[in-house]
Amino acid sequence: MKAIVSCLVALMVFSCTKEPSIQKYFVQKTEDPNFVALDLSPSFLNVNEAGLSADSKKALESFEKMNILAMRLSEDNKEAYKKERAEVNTILKNEQYQELMHFNGKGGGASIKFVGDENNIEEFILFADSKDLGFAVIRVLGENMTPTDIMNFVDVLKQSNFDSDQLKPLQDVMKGI
Amino acid sequence: MKKLIIVIAIALAPVLSFAQGPFDKFDGNDEVTSVVVTKKMFQMMGNVKHQESQEFLNLIKKLNNLRVFTTQNKAVAADMRNVANAYIKSAGLEELLRVNDKNQNVRIMVKSGATETRVKELLMFIEGANGKAQETVLLSLTGDFDLNEVSALTEKMNLPGGKELNKVKSPKK
Repeated sequence: MKAIVSCLVALMVFSCTKEPSIQKYFVQKTEDPNFVALDLSPSFLNVNEAGLSADSKKALESFEKMNILAMRLSEDNKEAYKKERAEVNTILKNEQYQELMHFNGKGGGASIKFVGDENNIEEFILFADSKDLGFAVIRVLGENMTPTDIMNFVDVLKQSNFDSDQLKPLQDVMKGI
Repeated sequence: MKKLIIVIAIALAPVLSFAQGPFDKFDGNDEVTSVVVTKKMFQMMGNVKHQESQEFLNLIKKLNNLRVFTTQNKAVAADMRNVANAYIKSAGLEELLRVNDKNQNVRIMVKSGATETRVKELLMFIEGANGKAQETVLLSLTGDFDLNEVSALTEKMNLPGGKELNKVKSPKK
């Protein structure tokens, strides 16, 4: 009996840790030299909060942070690239990532998924994949984020004066096209 | 026995509704540009409190799936036509409109719902779209919506065939 229980417990623990998530993937790859990782907090937007409407303020508050992970495709990393891209695809197939929309074309594709429910979006995931350049995963994490907040967040972005130098690592990835 | 069938049908319904659609094989094909919007997206957009027109928001909540496939490849276009024709027959879609204009050929098919203008599925098949590009476009929209509302969507989302849909709308008014 004891053996069965401990087996079950072990199984539960095992299955919990085994569950792949995009978050774990990010953690794993942040230090990987093949990847470019970028974490942005709301402060990078550098918004003057005094000038915001109540709706925009709430939108800004619901936004916690944004993580970006990108891998560039080059002549020498084709195999590794394929493997990583397949891994991301597998992770994103998990049921917790609900698809909102996707696009596929000659040059690549993109998909938008989310975690949570319609009125409380915990996480937004944008996966973009270009056949020549590489792929990028962008996670937007929120707290009590609603669809309305997202629409309003666009307005916040318009009013922000963020320093584009912070995105320089990303631009470097895109260089050499 | 009857009960059992109903139970099985209900149990299977979610599985079946998640099953691959007849057009999904075009998704991811290198020669095809595809856009797929899911029900979740429509629900989410419908919940947005924004200054969008109420008509648009009302419609959006009633939509399930939008799929648009576009190709310039002749072989794929021919395949699309076959798949679409086979599907129209098997799903019992009725032709709503057919327009042959210069080199462009537009067909709009619907699966009617409770009333005449109530629609469960709208399928649009366009050949020779976008002038010289000679694209073939297959558009499928499912849900439970009114035909008169769809033009709001085609306008907002810049979908192909909006002009033709408006033609459907006007004679009925």
